[in-house]
Amino acid sequence: MPEYKYEPTKWHDMAKPVEGGKATYQKKSWNPTKKKWGPFTQKGAAPVWFAEANATNWTESMICKAKDLFYESKMNECFDKNDEVAIKIHYGEYNRTAILRPEYIAAIVEEVKACGGHPYVVNDTTLSYHLYNNMATSQYQQEGAIRHGYTDATFGCPVIIADGYAGEDDYRVEIPEGNILKETYIGRAVAEADSMIVIGHSRGHSITMYGGVLKQLGIGCQSKRGKYITHLAHWGDPHDSIGWPKFTDKCPGTACKFHQMCDDSCPHEAHKVMAHGKEWYPERCRLCYSCQVTCLFSGMTGITFEDVYFPNAMIAHADAALGALKCFERGKVGFMNCAIDVVPECDCFPWAGKAVCPDIGIFASKDLIAIEEATLDAIDNAPIMPGSVAEEKDLKVGEDKFRAINGFSPRIITRSGEKIGLGTREYKLTNYEPVLTPENVAKWQIRPNKPTTVRLRDVFAKHDLTTEVMPFDRTGYNKDWVWNEWKKFDPYKGDKRA
Amino acid sequence: MSDVFWVDLARMSFDNSVSHKLRRLVAEAGVATGLSAGMRVALKVNTSEDGYDYGLRPGLVRTLASAVEEATSKRPTICDGLKLVDYWNRTKGHSFLHVARSKGYANDTLGGSFVINGGFSGDEGNLYSCGRTDSALGGVEVGAAVCRSDALWVFSHVTLHPLFGLAGALWNGGFECLIGRERTRVLDGVDAYAFNGSTPPAETLLRVRRRALESHLGVRAAVEGRVVYVSALWDVTPQPEYFPFSESPVVQNLGFLASRDPVALDAATLAILEESSGQARERAREFHDVLLAAESLGLGSARPNIQRLS
Repeated sequence: MPEYKYEPTKWHDMAKPVEGGKATYQKKSWNPTKKKWGPFTQKGAAPVWFAEANATNWTESMICKAKDLFYESKMNECFDKNDEVAIKIHYGEYNRTAILRPEYIAAIVEEVKACGGHPYVVNDTTLSYHLYNNMATSQYQQEGAIRHGYTDATFGCPVIIADGYAGEDDYRVEIPEGNILKETYIGRAVAEADSMIVIGHSRGHSITMYGGVLKQLGIGCQSKRGKYITHLAHWGDPHDSIGWPKFTDKCPGTACKFHQMCDDSCPHEAHKVMAHGKEWYPERCRLCYSCQVTCLFSGMTGITFEDVYFPNAMIAHADAALGALKCFERGKVGFMNCAIDVVPECDCFPWAGKAVCPDIGIFASKDLIAIEEATLDAIDNAPIMPGSVAEEKDLKVGEDKFRAINGFSPRIITRSGEKIGLGTREYKLTNYEPVLTPENVAKWQIRPNKPTTVRLRDVFAKHDLTTEVMPFDRTGYNKDWVWNEWKKFDPYKGDKRA
Repeated sequence: MSDVFWVDLARMSFDNSVSHKLRRLVAEAGVATGLSAGMRVALKVNTSEDGYDYGLRPGLVRTLASAVEEATSKRPTICDGLKLVDYWNRTKGHSFLHVARSKGYANDTLGGSFVINGGFSGDEGNLYSCGRTDSALGGVEVGAAVCRSDALWVFSHVTLHPLFGLAGALWNGGFECLIGRERTRVLDGVDAYAFNGSTPPAETLLRVRRRALESHLGVRAAVEGRVVYVSALWDVTPQPEYFPFSESPVVQNLGFLASRDPVALDAATLAILEESSGQARERAREFHDVLLAAESLGLGSARPNIQRLS
């Protein structure tokens, strides 16, 4: 490590809290809270369905099982015929590989359409998060989504940015029930839908420790200003570093080879590099994490998070999830978690670490908290993936994986979410296994009513392309060669393993 | 006088096809002048309502999108706003995209990012002054895709228009770039389907036209004057795109025009149409007054210097 010289961060303290046009804006905004919103489970344990990530025949394909779970969990009853159904997913950051495979989304879109709904796939714009963010504007996010295979053509329905071109197309929702937040801002394409199916990619998260369907609501459905409020921007005293990044006085200034990246990381130019430290204008900051991500992930220590920030942000994001849920009548939202590629970090990271456990499977429920609890329990009870950060940290099966990997327990979210009415932590898990029957084999195939082989009979009847070029030109058939000669190419000399 | 370049459809050949002609127009009219690497260009087009089947062909849009990409090394943001006057009452973003997609308007066909100007609700934008003390509107809210761009290319499908007389550069580069609620303010309760049997009183029409022209001033301010206009005299129908049907075009296809002056461009368009079509002469006759009003607002010159590229 080079020897750095550090100077204290030069603070330009705020004279008073930032005040904008809030009073005026709120008067004009529409609060779309539905009268009959509320947690799906009214009493007792919530039903959660699970299908294992494995397959040995047609019916056990993960796509087929996702479709089965859609009906088993009665997600088809989340919407009426001709309802506009938002399919909420995460579009994934540029250069990210551990994201939901498009087939899962297409599968659910197909069934929503089959049941008479009008689906459209949505995601909101994000804050900057890092220098080369791909999701902060509609145009960039579309380009990235296309690169991931998330297109109208692959899904068979419109793919939309929920909060407009710049992320300002939203509605304010009041959440007096919130533990921290009392309002939030939801992208209009979410808020105006009649119902919503949320498909989450279950994996870790650097801020909320874990991200699944609740994260899709708590951050994913939030417009830009919804994300800022949920990040806790400008909450408290800048010197406490809850509503602001933490400047550690350990910035080496221009001696840091990443200093230009650091300066460039702020969309509000809230900090500047000095010879041996940083100059800092907290008034300009909106807590988008760009500077923190730049510093931390380039291996430096000048800008970071206050430890206690994380649990507070987790609780706030459960509050924000309630804001999204309140845009729908009770029972109008269905949840599906894909615990596949369970990597340590969020889909908003432009890279992906090694999965912390083998693929687990798919969960489905109408209860937001129950499905998250069931997914987390399954992840904790899954084997440790060799070579992953879980193995590096010497985790044992059954331990709280994401607490060990990211710092705090994700159960902070489910507990705070349960308190404000997002759902129940008590769940009853049904292990779904499809039965191998001819009907079930055919059910989810490309042409369920006519096998491709039967179709090919028509094709070959018109033109038998193989017969046309027979006999094929090959070496003469030699029985001894066929039975023995090939063994010369086999390192095991023809010994077939039992 | 302002220059207007016109490429007609004469002498087609393998190296002088429609797209060749459009590319030639872009080159000779200097449409891309002023653009540099990295600039964000909004390409405002006209999508059309379900049932209207004479809309701008995606291939023509792609030709312009490619020209933007050549000049900036970036794909343009191709946009249109939610139709204020939505015959089928499907004003939300996903319905708009669904219809647009059915017409072949998608990212991969158009060669740029196709977005809704104004977002899912159609109301995402910023307020810009019309810059005149005598303005009835004062200012207008311009859609985010347009006002957050460094430059604007307005690619208009020329049609007749029941309120404005002619839909071309002035209409598409003004009223059509506004967010939804702002369009409501411009129309101020006027039935936009005037061809369906009712025509607003002359006084009302004058008010609407004046406001639509003022809105063009606001849009121009939003992109600091960096606007260029290309118009397609192609399937010039009596009804504009927001109608759920159209009668047959009033004239044969006549090619494409380009200019930096929307008034001159529309004046040239009108002159060319009047020369070729009695129906256009009859139905768009009041557009002469619109052009004079536009000129008086400082939007450009109603006397075009037409340079024909045959």
